Amino acid sequence: MNASNFETPLRQSKKGVIVIFGLNIYKAVKQSLIVLSIFFLRYLTSDNKLSSVNNYVYLGIGLVVLYLFIHALLKYLNFKFQVLDDYFILNHGILNKEKTSVSKSKIQNVYIKQNLIQQLINVVSLSIETAGDDKTEIEIQALSLDQANALKKLLLQNRVVNTSLKDQEVTETTSVYYRVSIKKLLLEGVSENHFKSFLFILFFLFGVYNDLKDFLQSLEIKSKFDQYLNLNETEFFSLILFNFILVFLLLILAFLFSLIKTVVENFDLTVLNKNEGLEISKGLFNKISLGLIPSRIQNTTIKTNRFKKALGLHKLVFTQAMVNKKQQKNFNIIGLSQIQVNELINRFYPNCVSNIEKRKPEPYFILRSSINFILLLLLLNLIFYFLPNSFYFINIPILIVSFLSVYYGFKKTYYSIDNNYLVIGGGKFIETHTSFLELHKIQAVTLQQTVFQKRKQLASVEIFSASDKLMIPHIKVETAKQIVDYLLFKVESSPKDWM
Amino acid sequence: MFSNNQIEIDSLPKVEDLKLKAIDKRYFNIIIFNIIITFSSLIGVFTALRFVIKKAVYNTHVYWFLLVGLILFFLIQFIVYKLGFKMRRYAMREEDIIYTEGLLTNTTTTLPFNRIQHIEIARSFLARKMSLSTLKIYSAGESGGDLSIKGLPKEEAETINAFLTKILNERV
Repeated sequence: MNASNFETPLRQSKKGVIVIFGLNIYKAVKQSLIVLSIFFLRYLTSDNKLSSVNNYVYLGIGLVVLYLFIHALLKYLNFKFQVLDDYFILNHGILNKEKTSVSKSKIQNVYIKQNLIQQLINVVSLSIETAGDDKTEIEIQALSLDQANALKKLLLQNRVVNTSLKDQEVTETTSVYYRVSIKKLLLEGVSENHFKSFLFILFFLFGVYNDLKDFLQSLEIKSKFDQYLNLNETEFFSLILFNFILVFLLLILAFLFSLIKTVVENFDLTVLNKNEGLEISKGLFNKISLGLIPSRIQNTTIKTNRFKKALGLHKLVFTQAMVNKKQQKNFNIIGLSQIQVNELINRFYPNCVSNIEKRKPEPYFILRSSINFILLLLLLNLIFYFLPNSFYFINIPILIVSFLSVYYGFKKTYYSIDNNYLVIGGGKFIETHTSFLELHKIQAVTLQQTVFQKRKQLASVEIFSASDKLMIPHIKVETAKQIVDYLLFKVESSPKDWM
Repeated sequence: MFSNNQIEIDSLPKVEDLKLKAIDKRYFNIIIFNIIITFSSLIGVFTALRFVIKKAVYNTHVYWFLLVGLILFFLIQFIVYKLGFKMRRYAMREEDIIYTEGLLTNTTTTLPFNRIQHIEIARSFLARKMSLSTLKIYSAGESGGDLSIKGLPKEEAETINAFLTKILNERV
């Protein structure tokens, strides 16, 4: 498609009305969810179900839907965009007309996304992220894929030429670097940290418990359970068994939750190799495609755990500057083999891995992390004091886990600083993570010393980048000072900008 | 013109050799004023509860425990702030600005000039009365690494602000 097509003001694809209408309904339902659910519950509990819904309710709903449709139509008609010279210009607003113009050089990222409605009617949305304010994100909700790609290319064209100073005639080479297989996706889901989902579900249930209390009581689960097992006489034992089964069910739920979450989020994950970097696309219901540009990448972390490592699965997490929080969590690639991880790290951090010279924190690290667990144990035992004696047995698994966490935590923690890179390794008993940062992307450095560290002549160094912070824990204070001086020297003497 | 000579770590400029400057002593009054406000409003709430909760056990026991606890907590906080006040120091070098604070956990943050995004001077009502200012220096990103030097004399804050703004404008 010819770039000149965007010079005259354009509307979105006609299907855009449907997308906006769908989003309007979604928003309306979401906002009035509480009110709606109250009405619904009242409807369920009322005796004469049919007569309590009268025509006025239908009329009201109809009017709201009609309003939302007209609103969507007007929004569509009033939404026009164009690219003139070096500016992207957007006119929108039904009553309050707004004109936004963004210089191409200020555009940070262009994403192509596809939610469920958009997938059904075969359009994509294109959002433009600018430097600075989070709120200035511009989204065009319905474009054909060809159009979106052409516009994306046009918007990003100038910058590539500016920054790389290359000839404009560079041919665009695109090849598929990696595509996740269904098998790997499932394995990733199975080897997730289910404990996290377990806690998430537990807190969620606690949150809604109060609202659903009456409803649950009306179901009389407990008494049905008792009848089923005939355990009425041994009340205490039945309570324990009941709780065990509850926990077991929750665990299965947690397992399914993290499995489904992984599959939905990373469905058809594809990594494309492009001239200016990588492009990641993924998602089942919300398809998204993100560009990964080396100069924007701030921190990169390799994450894996014992099970994943045995299965040959690694996750690469990137953080990019000037990207909003919601988008940030999508910048990751799962299911990579060790070789692929090395290849990618080598691509973004040349000569880094071979130069790693692991240096350890002081043994005080062990003491410090042990104290955390001891405090946790004391707190738990304080609670157990009021519970039946058998609860004290929970101490045994916790002690084992604490010991392993402290041991492997120390074993896995290291730092390495060379001429260009800072590498920090860490983890616990199960997880392992390794973070990489280019020295010229450091924003500020903090030397931290608690009173306890001071007595032992130790300190920690905290290093801030534009999107994350890294910590070198518990090292000798002289070493810490040297590191601070060296990092500052690197930042201040280098002409390289941080993005 | 690329050079990559070995760097002698010992020859690098050292943060620790610096003579750090203390912030204005009058800022301590503002800190104390702020904690007094917090504690007296808490005490006010507990006293008001005496009239709401008419149970004897609250008026005879719980209330006094709370009161003594609060006063003890206030005294501890006062001592920590008093001793920690001396730790609040700052300095500028050719290429960066340094701020250190904290008694129990001492942090020394250094922000290179070439990473500053923008600068801000904030002045609360009390600070205006005492002609003090808070200088906030922001780097990029949301992960922290910003400096906020509280209790600078007004002129000093403005001088630093002007100096840094000049560097920022020359940078481009």
